Amino acid sequence: MRLHYLELVLFSTYAELRAERARSYLGLLWWIIEPAMNMAVYYLVFAVILKSTQSDYVPFLLIGLTFWQWFKSCVSHGGYAIWQQLPLIRQVKLAPAVFPSVQVLADTLKFICILLLLVAILWASGYPPNVAYVGLVPVALVELVFAAGAAYVVAAVVPFLPDLRFIIEQVLQVLMFLSGVVFALDRVPEPLARWFALNPIAVLVDAARGILMQGRWPDWAALAQVALISCVLYAFGAFLIGRLTPRYVKLPT
Amino acid sequence: MSAIITLENVGVAFNAQLRVGSPRFWALEDVSLSLDRGDRLGVIGRNGAGKSTLLRTLAGIVAPDRGRLRREPVSCQLLSLALGFMPHLSGRDNAVLSGLMLGMRRREIVRRLPAILEFSELGDFFEQPISSYSTGMLMRLGFSVAMQVEPDVLLIDEVLAVGDAEFKEKSGAALRQRIHDGTTVVFVSHVDEQIRQVCNRALWIEHGRSVMHGKVDEVLAAYHAEPHAAAKHAPGA
Repeated sequence: MRLHYLELVLFSTYAELRAERARSYLGLLWWIIEPAMNMAVYYLVFAVILKSTQSDYVPFLLIGLTFWQWFKSCVSHGGYAIWQQLPLIRQVKLAPAVFPSVQVLADTLKFICILLLLVAILWASGYPPNVAYVGLVPVALVELVFAAGAAYVVAAVVPFLPDLRFIIEQVLQVLMFLSGVVFALDRVPEPLARWFALNPIAVLVDAARGILMQGRWPDWAALAQVALISCVLYAFGAFLIGRLTPRYVKLPT
Repeated sequence: MSAIITLENVGVAFNAQLRVGSPRFWALEDVSLSLDRGDRLGVIGRNGAGKSTLLRTLAGIVAPDRGRLRREPVSCQLLSLALGFMPHLSGRDNAVLSGLMLGMRRREIVRRLPAILEFSELGDFFEQPISSYSTGMLMRLGFSVAMQVEPDVLLIDEVLAVGDAEFKEKSGAALRQRIHDGTTVVFVSHVDEQIRQVCNRALWIEHGRSVMHGKVDEVLAAYHAEPHAAAKHAPGA
């Protein structure tokens, strides 16, 4: 049974990416062009116009955005997946968790492509490869669990509250600024800083920057803490979808 | 013979609207039936009587909100054409995708691809995106894939045959073959003649309630004797 779902998720992901390629002239090139344009906008605003005084701002920004955009796409694509597939869910007996999983997996594959490009850019601009790159594996795994968990929770609820769609984008925007993606969080006062350290994205982005820019290994204690938070979120999301499954088919068409 | 599926006073409610405190709408109010292995049960009733909801309840897609549903460990599958098809994918990829959604394992579908290709008569089009297909071709592919699933209980909602005249004959024959090979079938139809051909028992439901359950001829006769129910389906009406 579980293997069957794995096969379904893998093949649906392939189908999703195939279809995406067929839907535009430039096809797969958009995987790179779209995030690159997004990064260019932030670069223009924060590096060129506002003249960020932070040293190494460009790699700082690019790494932050790469890891952030992965999370964001997982939540916004995966979060709507069950809602969008309600017609299918009404027709056949399937675990609805399949649908957000497909979106998260597709966005993860795109992230890997962008990450490879990012690493190449970093090498070219004087940040050589180093042994701490190994640390990217646990960092990315924790982010995957966290993103999947967040996507599950949103996906579970959106069919009942489609209005949430208007709020989620705003919440994500706030979360981005609270996660130190476009500017450093080194000026957060102490009592608040402790809370900020519980934000998995802030910790993960910081760890990725340390690895890619300074060859610094992640702070394992902080990583373990956000790994735990991510696992709890994932379990909660999976539980929520399981719990609500009988009710999706009863929603009005 | 022992029943493989039993429904006792089953009711199924849906949310009428996406509003807080919106009333629920009972698509099935009180339906009882028992299905034995090898049974071919015809379900009749007017539009909105709850026939499709009954099939989806039997398929396990919709859970009852009241009453009892007992099911032996058997697979029940709705005959679904073109389930999960994606326009930009080839016929081959869509066959695999649809097969997976219908609960088949990948290697099982891959093994059956030659049979799907042959039955659907798509030829080279099998490798083309289905967005280039005509409606008839799409139906042929959908039917060929759906027929690969071999559930213990096959649930059919109206459709017995699809496509142009020629394929209709072929698909109808394939389905009848499946039915007469001993598959347990629940068949919803508006056409008396089809119910008579296919089924050995019939269930009449009205406003979500089972009215009569028994021999095909007796149930059809009672159904047409009721002026209200028969008005719409009387022969020649």
